[in-house]
Amino acid sequence: MAVKKASVDFVKVADEVQRWGEMKQTGVSLKYMMEFGSRPTERNLLLSAQFLHKELPIRIARRAIELENLPFGLSEKPAVLKVRDWYLDSFCDVHSFAKIKDMHDELAFTEMIKMIKVRHNHVVPAMALGVHQLKKDLSPSVVPEDLQEIHQFLDRFYMSRIGIRMLIGQHVALHDPKPEPSCVGQINTRMSPMQVARAASEDARFICLREYGSAPEINFYGDPDFTFPYVPQHLHLMVFELVKNSLRAVQERFSDPDKDVPPIRIIVADGIEDVTIKISDEGGGIARSGLSKIFTYLYSTAKNPRDENNSQEHERVSMAGYGFGLPISRLYGRYFGGDLQIISTEGYGSYSRSDEKKKKSLRVFSNRNSNHLKREARGVVCSRATTRRNLLWRKGNVSFSWHVPNLMLG
Amino acid sequence: MAAKKASEGFAKVVADEVQRWGSMKQTGVSLRYMMEFGSRPTERNLMRSAQFLHKELPIRIARRAIELQSLPFGLSEKSAVLKVRDWYLDSFHDLRSFPEIKDKDEELAFTQMIKMIKVRHNNVVPAMALGVQQLKKDLSPSIVPKDLEEIHEFLDRFYMSRIGIRMLIGQHVALHDPNPEPGCVGQINTEMSPMLVAHAASEDARSICFREYASAPEVNIYGDPNFTFPYVPSHLHLMVFELVKNSLRAVQERFVDSDKDAPPVRIIVADGIEDVTIKISDEGGGIPRSGLPKIFTYLYSTAKNPLEENYEGVHEGVTMAGYGFGLPISRLYARYFGGDLQIISMEGYGTDAYLHLSRLGDSQEPLP
Repeated sequence: MAVKKASVDFVKVADEVQRWGEMKQTGVSLKYMMEFGSRPTERNLLLSAQFLHKELPIRIARRAIELENLPFGLSEKPAVLKVRDWYLDSFCDVHSFAKIKDMHDELAFTEMIKMIKVRHNHVVPAMALGVHQLKKDLSPSVVPEDLQEIHQFLDRFYMSRIGIRMLIGQHVALHDPKPEPSCVGQINTRMSPMQVARAASEDARFICLREYGSAPEINFYGDPDFTFPYVPQHLHLMVFELVKNSLRAVQERFSDPDKDVPPIRIIVADGIEDVTIKISDEGGGIARSGLSKIFTYLYSTAKNPRDENNSQEHERVSMAGYGFGLPISRLYGRYFGGDLQIISTEGYGSYSRSDEKKKKSLRVFSNRNSNHLKREARGVVCSRATTRRNLLWRKGNVSFSWHVPNLMLG
Repeated sequence: MAAKKASEGFAKVVADEVQRWGSMKQTGVSLRYMMEFGSRPTERNLMRSAQFLHKELPIRIARRAIELQSLPFGLSEKSAVLKVRDWYLDSFHDLRSFPEIKDKDEELAFTQMIKMIKVRHNNVVPAMALGVQQLKKDLSPSIVPKDLEEIHEFLDRFYMSRIGIRMLIGQHVALHDPNPEPGCVGQINTEMSPMLVAHAASEDARSICFREYASAPEVNIYGDPNFTFPYVPSHLHLMVFELVKNSLRAVQERFVDSDKDAPPVRIIVADGIEDVTIKISDEGGGIPRSGLPKIFTYLYSTAKNPLEENYEGVHEGVTMAGYGFGLPISRLYARYFGGDLQIISMEGYGTDAYLHLSRLGDSQEPLP
């Protein structure tokens, strides 16, 4: 691939990337994806493919350009160069694909973008490694959270990746001959947040057990029958990250096995505007001065477990890693207009038993996490969401916003 | 007073003085400093304190007087605001016309004088609230108070400054107390138990709730009852009272027709290294995310407006919901010593209020 790039065509590619990178992006709402995807007729598949044929190169080119212009020499780190090559390759693949005229073309296109998705599977750890390589080279006085520009870049970059993979995933899933009932691609129109939270929590407890030999209990509160349309995979990821953090904090605070370990509590609340999921622990909290750090990339209270050898499969998830869990979870939260907030009560978890009659035993929560999911089920909410939820990232004169789309075809 | 102001020559002199002092630099004081200084109320220290205030108070007061005269949207002309401005001008005048403080007698007289100033300004909050309300009535209904950013920012600065002025005056006056409470340095209790204060404030809030609804949800408080740290109990009391009042109201209204028992409001007191955090949680149904920014604006209230034109008298019956100043002002109190107040809500379930009180006591007063 690298050799190919050195050829005369390289200049042309660069021009094309530049050109496409400046075109306007078109956003798609959850509601639209659901409605469109519920009618996977041949015509719709063609429309979808043609839309992606135009839209994907724009989004991919944008990121490729950014990847080449990162500050502090980040663009030159080998891991980042690798990612940039993935983006350039994918751009070429989509861009050089012929016009999609029939089902035959459409199927080939779908296969191609499926491959693109696979190619980009390890972007997150690769970028993390690149940032880590940068961190090592920087003067020790420069703290990662000072590198605002890089954080903002990574936020845009990963958010865009979520969108690209969502679009590709939806399109590919439309071809599924036997879709799950009530599912439209990656969207479950009747997702039970309790169910997803339970599954994610079990996964997190499993990791905790593996690392510490034990794991705190998790209690769930909320209506088990409540459902709403969302992407279960996204919710799973967010809850998993948050519960993992909570488990770790509690485990480390209550390492004495004789003492009772306070359980983690998860509350699922369905409101009119939002579905809110609160994950509370008594793991000792975070000092207020440290709160801004937890959403920066590469802040982690763990010893850095990543090594240079990232070519293999992203294997064992560990309890604490390269510090990308929270910021990326928040991006998932925000992708459909929601949010993720962490609020902490420093020092809570000093599990004092007292004989005082007034006090009940401390089995109640101190909050660390709260996770808001935007409820897209109703038309009214959706339109409010689309006018309110205009997330704009600006780099130069380029902006990217989410709103109800007008599919531009042809 | 009004007649005096009408005499032009005098007015100009005063205006120039106010302008001059309003441009001088303010000097902040930290909680720790107030504690250390105030723990040695010698004659010498009293003199120094008086001399400091003799210079500092006019600066802070003049600043506010100037702002009061240049508010947007015609707020400065509202009758209630003019009254407040006159209070500030009078106080400025009292301070400026006081001679140099050279001995104990003068110091005592000075202390009396600033004590009177504090009393004069007792009703500033409801007066300003009335002024803003008068403005609200005159504005086109399409302009929502929360759009009036400038006014909110002014009020934040204004009230924060007032907290500071009253803190300084209060500390100085309290230094003269022949029988101070043990552990107390003026308004500061060096061994304040947040649980005790929270308990007292909750009981006050519950009694208001009782009065209005004939019942009140329980309030449970968790934490170390022996934990103490230096803080101003009256500030904490005010904040907890406001927050618990809101929680009680929300729960009460949610469960009024329900067969279920009203769930208790829970208060957790946590002592960290940097902060003491007091969390007040309720299951009162929560606030939608879109409504959250509104709750910290002045004059947003979900209640009918109980404000009347008659604000001369002592601010009597506190009601469960008022003119919408409770939360923003509570937050100012929290921030005054470097803390904060955050409200986080789960729509359909309930709300958590986090009161962060900085333990270190080193932060300088904010000086807007």
